[in-house]
Amino acid sequence: MEVSTLPISASHRGKLISSGYTSLSSLSSVSPSRLAQDLKISENEAVEILKVVSRRSGSEKIENGNHAIMNGAQTAWDMLHEEESSVCITTSCSDLDVILGGGIHCKEVTEIGGVPGIGKTQLGIQLAVNVQIPSGYGGLGGKAIYIDTEGSFMVERALQIAEACAQDMLEYDNLLRKDSQACRVIKQPKAFLENIFYFRVCTYTEQIAVINYLEKFISEQKDVKVVIVDSITFHFRQDFEDMALRTRLLGGMALKLMKLAKQFKLAVVLLNQVTTKYKEGSFQLTLALGDSWSHASTNRIILHWNGDERYAYLDKSPSLQSASAPYAVTGKGIRNAAPNCKRVKLM
Amino acid sequence: MRPEDLLRHPLPTQTPKLTFGCSLLDRLLGGGIPCHSITEIVAESGTGKTQLSLQLLLAAQLPASRGGLSASSLYLHSEFPFPFRRLHQLSLFYKTDLPHDPLERIFVQPLHSADHLLDLLPRLDFLVPKLNIKLIVIDSVAALFRGEFENTPLELKRRSSMFFKISSKLRFYSHKFGLAVVLTNQVVDVMQSSDNLRIGNSAFLCSSGRRVCAALGLSWANCVNTRLFMWREEGRVGEDCESFERMQTRRFIRVVFAPHLPDSSCEFVIRKEGVLGCIDDNGQRK
Repeated sequence: MEVSTLPISASHRGKLISSGYTSLSSLSSVSPSRLAQDLKISENEAVEILKVVSRRSGSEKIENGNHAIMNGAQTAWDMLHEEESSVCITTSCSDLDVILGGGIHCKEVTEIGGVPGIGKTQLGIQLAVNVQIPSGYGGLGGKAIYIDTEGSFMVERALQIAEACAQDMLEYDNLLRKDSQACRVIKQPKAFLENIFYFRVCTYTEQIAVINYLEKFISEQKDVKVVIVDSITFHFRQDFEDMALRTRLLGGMALKLMKLAKQFKLAVVLLNQVTTKYKEGSFQLTLALGDSWSHASTNRIILHWNGDERYAYLDKSPSLQSASAPYAVTGKGIRNAAPNCKRVKLM
Repeated sequence: MRPEDLLRHPLPTQTPKLTFGCSLLDRLLGGGIPCHSITEIVAESGTGKTQLSLQLLLAAQLPASRGGLSASSLYLHSEFPFPFRRLHQLSLFYKTDLPHDPLERIFVQPLHSADHLLDLLPRLDFLVPKLNIKLIVIDSVAALFRGEFENTPLELKRRSSMFFKISSKLRFYSHKFGLAVVLTNQVVDVMQSSDNLRIGNSAFLCSSGRRVCAALGLSWANCVNTRLFMWREEGRVGEDCESFERMQTRRFIRVVFAPHLPDSSCEFVIRKEGVLGCIDDNGQRK
């Protein structure tokens, strides 16, 4: 399955390969307008290319005994391959990355909840910065959308985290590629801010409107690899007289976000608050928005205190086992919990 | 209004801040009270919440070159009486720096209940631009909710939805007009037996030797962006006559949680000229 064997003109073939469309499966779900945009060709030409592709892949599928019912459908085998090659967004805390299977996954919705002051917003800002780490440094080189419902996003903090991230890349350069130092240009911390699209929403109507608008926005902007909503909850905890309406609105929003995650191969991170729930005679902490909401996310991470240390607990995941890991919020951002902390405590 | 209008791009590189009028306290807060955001000050009575609030009302009028917002301030108070004499005393220290009488630019409104506050908030839409208000202080939020709600699940639910309503409105106006919003809150004692839910940087808060936590509970904690805790410690000062032990109160302020600040604290004193930070713990005063 190689693009180079397709019966199309050489210039189109070259454009396809240089734009990263090397396999037929990468062309199977792309729209003609998107392809035209990426290849800088007319839409008619793109349609012609896609026709050739679908004819070819159709015949191959029959040869292989596959039965793709719909355009864009994938086999589990293809999906496994794609997942193995996909890059995660690191949290900058390696212990946390380990329990998450490498970091925050694209094409998934990850919900993160915890008490005020535990570091939800810090993690949100960290991801908005880390998604921009270029692929040469093991990152995605993407852009971030930050939807702020609470007004907790502070630019100076984002700048601080970006500075630390740029510093880390510089150190990495010094360690591993002394020779090519000169030709690499490290991003200025302020350039990180330019790739964070910040929406401040003040009502739940605005929140829903922005989420509905994202599809258009992302297809215009390209390269958006993470959407962070900090927090998904706040506007929905006011007086909703009609709780059924609330459930419907939340459900609709969750579906929209899941669709975005799949369609644009990006990670969706929803920050949630915690609330107390009366259960079997005592009050217990749970994530807010109720039971039906818990289906909205692929992964759920609960941040909590354990003595003086912050811990993240992976509560729900379709592919990973439940586990917890310590992390720390430092001046540089999210990092591993310092191991000497424990030693100090023992003494 | 279209969704694309809600995008702020490119981002500014600095959030405007309101000075405390004291460089040490400003340093603790990374420059002062942030605009576009809600800052809560939690303390037991007699620690200096109101003192600090009054000081901010005056500092807001200073020009930007001195860390102020060159604007008026609005003081909503639910604890009575209004400390007019103290405000007047403090204002004397600001008179020389300002072309007008500082008291003219402080608007005061008593609050009687949470519903009263909710009724007032929509009026900010025209009051804030008309009076050039950039700082709103509510002293105190806890007093609005004391006594009005019963301790039943239904009432508590009503109470917390009230919190979110008030907070949502305040956040809306603080964003719309770039306001700094400061709320004060009281503390409640923590029973040793109940397992205490930890919120923020320290496992438990102590004031006057008692374990306390902020009033209004977990759901309210979601309604503010930054929480500061002020506490007092009574200490003996020796060297005096044997029969008279002089008691000295030391006061401290700490960041409990904030999106932009590390865990840090500072000692402060209350003087005639206002609330001032102290250099270090050895009793050495600035």
